[in-house]
Amino acid sequence: MLKLSNLKLSKEWILVVVLAVLFIFMSIFAPGFTDSYNLTNMLFQIPELGILSLGMMAVIITAGIDLSITYLAALIGVIIATCLTSGMPIGLSIIIGVITALAGGLINGFFVAYIGVSPILVTLGTMTFFKGVVTLITKGNSISGFPEVYGAIGNNAILGIPLPLILFGAVALIAWYLLNKTVWGRNVYMTGNNPIATMFSGINTKRVLIYVYLFSALMAAVAAIIMTSRYNSAKVDLGSSYLMQSLAVAVLGGANISGGYGKVIGIVLATAIFQVLSSGLNLIGISSMIINILIGVVLLSVLMINFFSSKWESVGKQKTI
Amino acid sequence: MKKITQQKEFGIGLVVIILGVILTVMSPAFFTTGNILDILKANSVLGILAVGMTLVIITGGIDNSVAAMTAAVTVVISKLVVVMGSGTLSLLTVFVIAILVGACFGLINGILIAVTKIPPIVTSLGTMTIISGITLYISNGEYVNSSMLPAKFIAFADYKIGGVSILIFIFLITAIFTWFLLKYLTVGRDILSFGGNPTSAMRVGINTTKVQIFVYTYMGLLAGIAGIVQTAYNKGVDPNGFSGFELTVIAAVVLGGANIMGGSGSILGTLLGTLLLGIMQNGLILAKINTFWQEVFVGLIILIAVSYEVLKRKREEMKLSKVEIEV
Repeated sequence: MLKLSNLKLSKEWILVVVLAVLFIFMSIFAPGFTDSYNLTNMLFQIPELGILSLGMMAVIITAGIDLSITYLAALIGVIIATCLTSGMPIGLSIIIGVITALAGGLINGFFVAYIGVSPILVTLGTMTFFKGVVTLITKGNSISGFPEVYGAIGNNAILGIPLPLILFGAVALIAWYLLNKTVWGRNVYMTGNNPIATMFSGINTKRVLIYVYLFSALMAAVAAIIMTSRYNSAKVDLGSSYLMQSLAVAVLGGANISGGYGKVIGIVLATAIFQVLSSGLNLIGISSMIINILIGVVLLSVLMINFFSSKWESVGKQKTI
Repeated sequence: MKKITQQKEFGIGLVVIILGVILTVMSPAFFTTGNILDILKANSVLGILAVGMTLVIITGGIDNSVAAMTAAVTVVISKLVVVMGSGTLSLLTVFVIAILVGACFGLINGILIAVTKIPPIVTSLGTMTIISGITLYISNGEYVNSSMLPAKFIAFADYKIGGVSILIFIFLITAIFTWFLLKYLTVGRDILSFGGNPTSAMRVGINTTKVQIFVYTYMGLLAGIAGIVQTAYNKGVDPNGFSGFELTVIAAVVLGGANIMGGSGSILGTLLGTLLLGIMQNGLILAKINTFWQEVFVGLIILIAVSYEVLKRKREEMKLSKVEIEV
């Protein structure tokens, strides 16, 4: 007998199908979609959102949320920019940026893990705080004029592959390795599933959480480096529009907002879907406002499909009982 | 009767008073009727939204779409007042429609959240994107200024009762009504018991779906009222002017001592939270501290306030467990 469950695709395969269908649809209907110019452009735009979404996903797996990620990225960007414009070498500037990231992640992690404040509130507070510090440093202006070599990170390509995309690939691989092949990674999923049981099985959940927030801060740092290099400037709203988008990508990519589930490959696919959707619709000539509406519709529909398919599944199970 | 010091709102109330005293000493302009009324008027939109958000947070939910709903309502008002003409009756009709539009948005949120059981934080994120997208598409992102609004509307915006702006009255009436609803009406008690423990609430026969739909619809209705107040306060409409405001609203509620996990929260606390944010903003300007510092302070205060709440709760739980051991 043919079982329906055998036909059921995993979340990630559904995303592959959606991506393929969208890509074919756009290739047919969006003029110039398959032009090399458009394709490279898309490849340059994917990494920033993708990297931030990876950070967001790691936090979501532990049933948390990181609202501060984009403003932390802005803070890191502004600090790197200040260092660069004051004549520091690029390597040192980036190191200082990474130290800023670690400090930011540590603050988030400390409040979540050791004080026990819910992540949404902690990151709401630190988000406002980081934003304030950035405005304080920049006085509301933008900082620009970096050395040319720095600009290469975000704008150059090796063998036709954009450098940011290579960075994204590397970061995604590292994230996949950390989450799936290390003890810490297993602990992240366990903590997300059931923090109390995880604690009682002898795992230091506090340390697991601290590292999760350090991880998302490091993702913010990588994204900040790419963004400052690509735009050749840094200001307070650097990447701020990515906050809701990265959350949407994480959810679309299958991360469970109540914790315990989320895959790197899902994030990569969801980022690509977002990019194909917005570039394609843009080329068709649909205004960016409508595109935003559609992104919201897509987000809600994915959630509804997930809900109804899981409900349908449980109804099926009850019947067999 | 509980002692004042044991009241939940005591901590935040004390902070507001201390801040007020410091500001009074620092600047003679702070503790004047005019300035206090200004603070209230400038924060009435925040207050109205925070009052609604209190109910949402008590049920363990969150509504990210409040700012988008309010912005949508302001755009609806700006379109309607031009079409409807400038009679008193037509102005009232506009207000009723504005509130209904807000309530409809809220109803959509409520149905999605209550029926599909998708976590409120993502549902409202989705509706936020959709609502703000539609708002920007309809308004084209264009600003409406006071010269484009009818004289009757401007007269409403400037209307005062006993020297106090009507906007402050709208804010206070909303707050008092919601307090009454939460304390004395069945639906208010249902909201509290649902927030405390959804499963038990369902078992004692509370229609939990209805409670959730009510809470989000009420939030939308208040966003409608906030839209009217905002248009009147600004005497103009900026479709983009509200992005990110939902986080300030959430901050006000949380500062007021509501538990983000649901179950507790009070209108009085929320009002004090709103007042704290308002006084801080006002005080920093009066104390001639660079406004760039403002967000740094707000961020720190949120972190300190929520940590204090959590630590206090932990200590109370420790006490409880000790008592159990002794018995």
